[in-house]
This record gives sequence, structure tokens and C-alpha cells, in this order.
Amino acid sequence: MVNLKVGQEVELEYGGKAIVKREIGRGGQGSVYLVEYNGMEWALKWYDSSKFRDIAEFRKNLKNIVSDGSPYNKFVWPKYLTKQSEDGQFGCLTEMVPESFDSFVNILRDFKVVTDPLTSHLVRKPVRFTRLYAMVTAAINIVNTFRKLHTAGKCFQYLNDGAFFVNIETGAVLIGSCDNITAENMDMGITGKPGYTAPEYVLGKAKPSRQTDYYALAVALFKVLFRGDPLEGRKVVMDICLTEEDVLKHYGEKALFVMHPDDDSNRPVRGIHDNIIKFWDTYPEYIKDAFVKSFTEGISDPEKRLDEDQWQEIFIRLRSEIIQCDICGRTNFVSLFDKIDSTTYKCPKCGYDIATIHFSNYDWRLPVYKGRKFYECEINPFSDDFLSVSGEVVENKLRPGVMGIKNCSSRTWKAKMPDGQFHDVGPGKGFPLWQGLEIDFGRVKAKM
Amino acid sequence: MSNKNNKSAQESVKENTRASSLLDFDDDDPLGATAVSKKSLVIFFLIDTSGSMKGKKMGELNTVMEELIPEIRRVGEADTDVKIAVLTFSTDIAWMYSIPISIEEFEWSRLEASGVTSMGAAFQELSARMSRNSFLNSPSLSFAPVIFLMTDGYPSDDYREGLKALQSNSWYKFGLKAALGIGNEANDEMLAEFTGSKDTVVHAYSGGQLAQMIKVVAVTASQIGSKSMTLSDETNKELTEEDVMTAKQKMLGQQIQELVKQDDSNDVSFDTGW
Repeated sequence: MVNLKVGQEVELEYGGKAIVKREIGRGGQGSVYLVEYNGMEWALKWYDSSKFRDIAEFRKNLKNIVSDGSPYNKFVWPKYLTKQSEDGQFGCLTEMVPESFDSFVNILRDFKVVTDPLTSHLVRKPVRFTRLYAMVTAAINIVNTFRKLHTAGKCFQYLNDGAFFVNIETGAVLIGSCDNITAENMDMGITGKPGYTAPEYVLGKAKPSRQTDYYALAVALFKVLFRGDPLEGRKVVMDICLTEEDVLKHYGEKALFVMHPDDDSNRPVRGIHDNIIKFWDTYPEYIKDAFVKSFTEGISDPEKRLDEDQWQEIFIRLRSEIIQCDICGRTNFVSLFDKIDSTTYKCPKCGYDIATIHFSNYDWRLPVYKGRKFYECEINPFSDDFLSVSGEVVENKLRPGVMGIKNCSSRTWKAKMPDGQFHDVGPGKGFPLWQGLEIDFGRVKAKM
Repeated sequence: MSNKNNKSAQESVKENTRASSLLDFDDDDPLGATAVSKKSLVIFFLIDTSGSMKGKKMGELNTVMEELIPEIRRVGEADTDVKIAVLTFSTDIAWMYSIPISIEEFEWSRLEASGVTSMGAAFQELSARMSRNSFLNSPSLSFAPVIFLMTDGYPSDDYREGLKALQSNSWYKFGLKAALGIGNEANDEMLAEFTGSKDTVVHAYSGGQLAQMIKVVAVTASQIGSKSMTLSDETNKELTEEDVMTAKQKMLGQQIQELVKQDDSNDVSFDTGW
């Protein structure tokens, strides 16, 4: 391949020139350069035509992607195509991923390497979700990007850890590698890693489609929670080395989920897959069930894979079942708190009781603790908005120690106050938490 | 690996996968994940340091290798731990470092040339080290190693004996093998015996070519080596094990040949102008 040089000018398809500033990375499809165009910094992915089965077809598809535009602002979408050089080389410009986002690669390996501004030495900086909320929200956001892509009739050809960028404080997600997106059922012959690739695609039986994406989605979500590969266990590690035949076997014809309920021959190995061993039993049954279904029936039958709606429901529930103990601060899922009766959890660390509330649209009860937020989709069954906070458990500013729920939405609710009467609760107002509390959110009713 | 070893490895793995006991509070934080263990790839460089390499060839090689390390660092996929091991052979054989060193920390130590070409002994040594009990002891998944031989002449010992030992080593069988002949004396046919295919043998007659060939081969091999798979080209056909068997080695051959064709350096040959 022909590498670009610092200072070199690259002409864009529809006019203008990008100036190469430096190389910032290299991957299986070419190199990525930092370039300047129109006074802004951009990433220029410069393709190595020898890595493509049909580079002309790839360019044609890329052109379509650029002109279609991004279906959702969370995609780092190809913006401008360059002209082809005399020997047929070309690239495309995308926006730079903001520094507040970390590559999923770094989240998985726990650190990133940065230049210390004082000493200019390379140092390791930990990369970790700062809150449980952020981790689960990241999962919901990943689900949502897949939905937006599928709604636009497109799918991923190939994904890897490097395609996901996550804000570890908020759980916001950006998707890179969008130059590999195509219309459904096209096959660009793009080679990749087996990790995210559905078994039927590994075996060459199917083209990339919504179903192969559902497989990739399950893998991404599994990795967010369990930090490991769902198919890499004892059986895989026992091989001398990972040869092509082994890949075909372990990720294709003989793919076996590490937590398969009826076959323990590919269980995670201590020392290598510690995260999966450690976390598997800490999650509630419905989470485990979803992954078991995805990686047992869903391995051989693409129709059995969970779609975005199913995943979203599961993860919104998981997020709603996070408890943060008001006293000792222990934060975890309800599955790791003791339950003393049908309505109360007990913190196993400090013994504090945590109350719950029942929403008419859920079969389960939601824990109530200071700082707990209720999202629009939780109080309005017709809403898909999992990010807007509609209510929050807060302490009364004038009466310290008295906890209540504040209406952060723009609608008026009704709540049963300790006087036994229902009162209107307008935006910005609140009401105390008490034994007989009932709330009318409109379409959803809640009761302590 | 012998049957006995196999069994005990299996047992110890089984032992290790028993359901974990109850976690304590500090240990059940879902955010407290440890780093995901990386897959490992060892790149073996087998380098001829016999007397005939003295001078321009050795100087050139040292410079190229120094430049190559950061380049491989960039190529390496983030989820792969790439390690380097350098075995030199002249009258004696020697490893540059006693164990393979991670690419992040690897520093090239300049080589000097003298003595004869004990290539057979180097093959024997490599075969002995390419084992789970020695250099390839990463606990997590390993990719097949990359083995890159560079020489400028004909072995002075019985290389066939050494090659035989190597050929019975499974890691060698699965490994990505490439060879570079330097100057007119190097025998491409003998090198093809080592790599198992003519496609992965290249030749450099000049300093410019040497630099280019080493980079092409090492970078391409580490790219292919750290990739888990090659997907099918014809999607209507279901892949079988035979289809993918040695697919990487073939791919390496193709890519090397393609890149070699692009070579247009025409500077002074190693063997002329003395």
C-alpha cells in the first residue's frame, strides 16, 4: 500500500484538500491519519486496496453511505470521500472521536496509554466505568444504535471492540468503523475477527444481515457486563494455538457458550476468564437467561436471537434495579442485596433497610434510595426515552432527613399525601415517601 | 504434546473451573473487572550473524530492525499481546533475550557478525523452545507464531537434521513462516524448504531492498498472525476445515508476492562495488 506523508495534500471528491498531519493508527483495512480540512481536524482512513476483495465495490458502497448520511448522530459516519489517486488509492474523512470517549478496547484492557503533560513520558491511565449506572446505560445505548441502523435498512458488515467508543462517566456511546456499514444482505467479503461474527457467517452460510447483527449485539452486551468472550472457554484454550481450523470449529460449527446450562465442557478457566467466573452469578436470572438464549438456541437458529426491543427492556430493568445504599454507599444490583420480605431489601454490608415501590407497568418492584432516578420510559409506556429523567428521589431541603420524589417532568402528577388525599404535583414540585404513598403519573400508577 | 501431559492439563483446567465460592463485598462490584487477558502472538526472528553478514548487510539489518519495532507496535491489534524473540546463529547460536519480550518493551540490541552458519543448530534450538513449557507459555489463547528467517548464505552444518526436528513441532506446523535471502549466495530453494512454500520466500540484493523486504514480511506476517480468521470469499459455499487449513500461510504468500512486485528500488547490489 502507499502510505501518505506528513504535509501531503489529499483531494476530496467534491473539492477542497485535506492536509495530512500525522498517522494515528493502522488497522486491517489501511491506515488512519489526522488531517486538516476546512480549518478543522478530521480522521482520514486511507484504504489498502490489497486488503479488499473488490475495492471498487467497497468504494461504491462508501459513496452510498456518504450520500445517505448518518441515520443517528451517535455514528461516527464517513463524511467526505477523497478522489482516487492515480494508482487507485483513496480514503474517507470522518469526524474525530471526542476525547471524552474511550475506546471499548481500553475499557476491556483496563487502561489507556497517554502522554504525561509534565514529563512527556508515556503513562498508563486506568479506564473504568465510574458508576454502575454508566455501565448499564452504555449497554442500553449500544442497543439503541443497532436499532437506529436497522431502522435505516442497513447493517454492520463487521464489528470489533475498536468500533465502540464509550464515555465512562455517562455511558454515552459512539460507533466507529461505519465505513463497513452496508444495506442488508450484501457481502463485501470483509475479513474480521470471529468474536462478533455470527456462526453462520463464520461458516460462510449467510451474508451479513439484521440476524448476524443481533448476534454481534449479544456479544457486545456480554462483553460490557462480563468482560470476556462468550465462546472462549476451556475447550478453546486447550488447543495448542488458535489456528484457522480452530476458529471455524470454536466460532462456527462447534460453537459452545461458556455458560451453556447443559454442557460444561467449555467453561471459563480461572486465571484467564476470571471476570466471567466472578460476575456470572452476580447478575439477576433474567439477564443470564437472555444470554443463555442468545448463545444456545441463538447460535444455530438466528431467529431465536433477541432483538433490540427485548434487549432494551431487559437493560432498562437492570438499570432500574441498581441499589445504592443510603448509609454505606454499597452499590449493586438487587440480586446482590438481601430480601427480607416482598417489599424490602436489606443491605448485606450495613444492614440498612431499602424500601421498594411498585409501578403498574412492571411485574417487579423498584428500590427507592436517595438519588434514584425515574426515566421517562419508566413512567410512560408509550415513550422510548431512556435518558430523560422524569423523577428523582431527593431529600427535602427544608426538612433534612425527609425523603421524597421530585417531579422533574413537564407534566403534573397526582400523589397521595400523608393526609390521605390526592394532590396535584406540578413540575419542580415533590411529595414525601411514606407507607401509603400512591402516585398517578398519567398512564402509569405507582404504589409503595 | 504427549498424552500424559494432555491429561494432566485437562485435569488442572477442570479444577480451575469449579463454581466459585461466595464472594465477599469488595469482590462483587460489577465495575471491578480485571483486564481481559489478551491473545498472544510470538514473532520469532532467526537471524544469520555469520561472518559473511559483516559490514553493510549487518549494519542495514540492525537499522531496519530498530525501525521495525515501533512499526509492529502500531500494527498490533489492541487485543493481542505481541512478543518478540530473536535467535541469532553463526558459529554459536544465541537468543537476544532469554525470553520473548513484549513489543511494548522490546529494544533492539545491535548485532555483530562473525563465524560460520550453524543454521541446523538454530532450527534444533527453535524447536526446543517452541513449546508450552518454554517460550510459548502464555496462559491465554495463543495465535500460531510467526517465524521469520534471514540469511545470506548456505548453512555450514546439517540443516536438514534441524529442519526435521522443527517439522515435527506442532507450533512450527501451524506457524506463519517466511524467509529472506540476502545477496546472491542465499539459496531460495533451501529457504522454501524451511517455509514450505516459495511464495513466502523473498530476496534482497541491495540495502534498499533489504529494508523494504524485512518490513514487508514482518509487518504483513504480524498483521495476518494477530488476526483470528479469514472469512470466506464465496458466501454461497459452506466452509470446511480443509478450506481454511493453512489459509493464513497462503494469504501471507499472496500478500508478500503482491508487495514484492511493487518493489522498484534499484540501488547498488550488496555483492558489487567492493
